[in-house]
Amino acid sequence: MKKNLLSVLTACMVFLAGGARAEVNAGKAETFVKNVTAEGIEEIINANVPQAEKDARFAKLFNEALDLDFIGQFVLGRNWRTATPAQRKEFIQVYRQLNISTWSKRFDEFKGKNFVFKGTSPSNSQGQVFVNSLVPMDQGEPAKVVWRVREKNGQYKIVDIIIENVSLAITARNEYTAFIKNNPGGIDALIANLKSKI
Amino acid sequence: MKKNIKYSICFLMMAFCASCATDGKIHRPEAEADPFEGFNRSVFEFNYQFDKYVMKPVAKGYRAVTTPFVRRRIRSALSNLREPLSAANYLLQADPKSSAISLSRFVVNSTLGLVGTFDVAEGWGLKRDHATFNETFAKWCIKDGPYIVLPFLGPSTPRAAVGMAFEFAFDPVFWATYNDANIRDKVAYSYAALQAVSLRESAMTLTDDLERNSVDFYAATRSSYLQYQSKLRCFNDVSDGTEVYDFDFGIEDEDMAFQEMENE
Repeated sequence: MKKNLLSVLTACMVFLAGGARAEVNAGKAETFVKNVTAEGIEEIINANVPQAEKDARFAKLFNEALDLDFIGQFVLGRNWRTATPAQRKEFIQVYRQLNISTWSKRFDEFKGKNFVFKGTSPSNSQGQVFVNSLVPMDQGEPAKVVWRVREKNGQYKIVDIIIENVSLAITARNEYTAFIKNNPGGIDALIANLKSKI
Repeated sequence: MKKNIKYSICFLMMAFCASCATDGKIHRPEAEADPFEGFNRSVFEFNYQFDKYVMKPVAKGYRAVTTPFVRRRIRSALSNLREPLSAANYLLQADPKSSAISLSRFVVNSTLGLVGTFDVAEGWGLKRDHATFNETFAKWCIKDGPYIVLPFLGPSTPRAAVGMAFEFAFDPVFWATYNDANIRDKVAYSYAALQAVSLRESAMTLTDDLERNSVDFYAATRSSYLQYQSKLRCFNDVSDGTEVYDFDFGIEDEDMAFQEMENE
C-alpha cells in the first residue's frame, strides 16, 4: 500500500517535471506535420500546374512550415554570436533561398511516396517535440524521417528534419563551422559561397 | 595465401581498433572529433578524384546500358547474396527470429525468386532487413573509435573497417568458389566490381546533390556518417528516452538577437 502511494507520488512528480520542461502539445505538432506533408503532396507534387507555379507554392509552404530564422541561427553555431546583424540577416536570406531551390528541385522525386506517421517522442529542448514518420521505399526497409517541431506562441514550425538519424541542421552546422574555421574570409566567404550555389 | 592476407588485415585492424578506441558519441554538436583530419582530408581528396575519373563514369556507363528494371533486379540479387551474412550476424546479436527470417528469405528468393533477382519473400511478409558485423560489434559494446577515411572505401571507423574486413572474409560467394582456383579470383573480382558499381549508381543523385550544395564536402560527409553511425547502440545501453539526435537546440538570447536583426 505504502509502496503504491509512493509510486503514484513519483509518477505525479515525473509528470509535473515533464510538464514544466516542455508544455508542447505533441498531438497538435503531429497534426501540423501531417498537414504540411499532405499539402506538399496534394497541392504541389500531384497538382497539375506548371513548374513555375509549383516552385512558387513550394516556396510559400517552405516559409510557412519551417522556422528558417531559428534554424539559420542554430546552423551558424558559435559564429552567430560574432556575426554582425547585417551578416546574420544576409546569411539567413541566402540559407533560405538555397534550401528552397534545392528542395523544390528534388521534391518531384517524392512522387508516389507517402508518409506513415508513427507518433511522437519528447525532446529535452524547451517547447519542442519529435514527430516520427516512415517513408516506404520501392525496395527494402522504409526510410525513417523524424520532424523536429517547435511551438512558439501557439504556432508550430519545423526546425529540423532527421533522415535515418542524420539531422540536416546538425550536418549544416558542422559543415559551416568547418568552413568558417578553415577559411580566412569567415562568414562573408561562407555567404558568398552559398550564394554561388543558388 | 589470399585467405592469410585477409586475416592479417583483420587482425591489424583489430589491434588498431583496440589501441585507439574512443567515445564516438556526438550528442553535442561541437564535439565531432576528428583527430586524423589532415590525413583523412588527403585520403578523401584522393577518393574524390578516383570517384570523379573512374567510379562515376563507370556508374554512368552502367546506368546508360541498363534499364531501371534491370538495375533493380541486380541490386536485389546482390542483396540476396548478403542474406547468409545477415543471418549469422543476427545470431551473434542474439536475435534468432531475424536470423531465421534472413535465412528463409535467402532460401525462398534464391529459388522461387530466380537467384534473388526478385524478392518473393517480401510478399510473404518476410521483410528485408540486413545486419552487419559493424552493428554486431556495436551491440557487443565495442566502441567505434575515431573517424577514418579509407582509400577507395571511404568514410569509416576502426570498428566499421574491421566489420567490413569480416564481411569480406566470410562472404559466402568467396567460400562457394574457394576450392576452384580457376574461377575463384574471377568471381571474387567481378562480384566486388558489380557491388561497387551498383552501389555507386544507386547513390548518384544523392551524392551529386550533397556535393553541389556543400561548401565543405568533407565536413558534410563526415557529419552525416558519424550521425548515421550513432544510431548503433550497445545492447545494455540504458536509454533515458533521449533520442541521439536530440541536440541542445534552445537558443537563450534568441529574441534579443532577432530584435537586433530587425532593427538593422
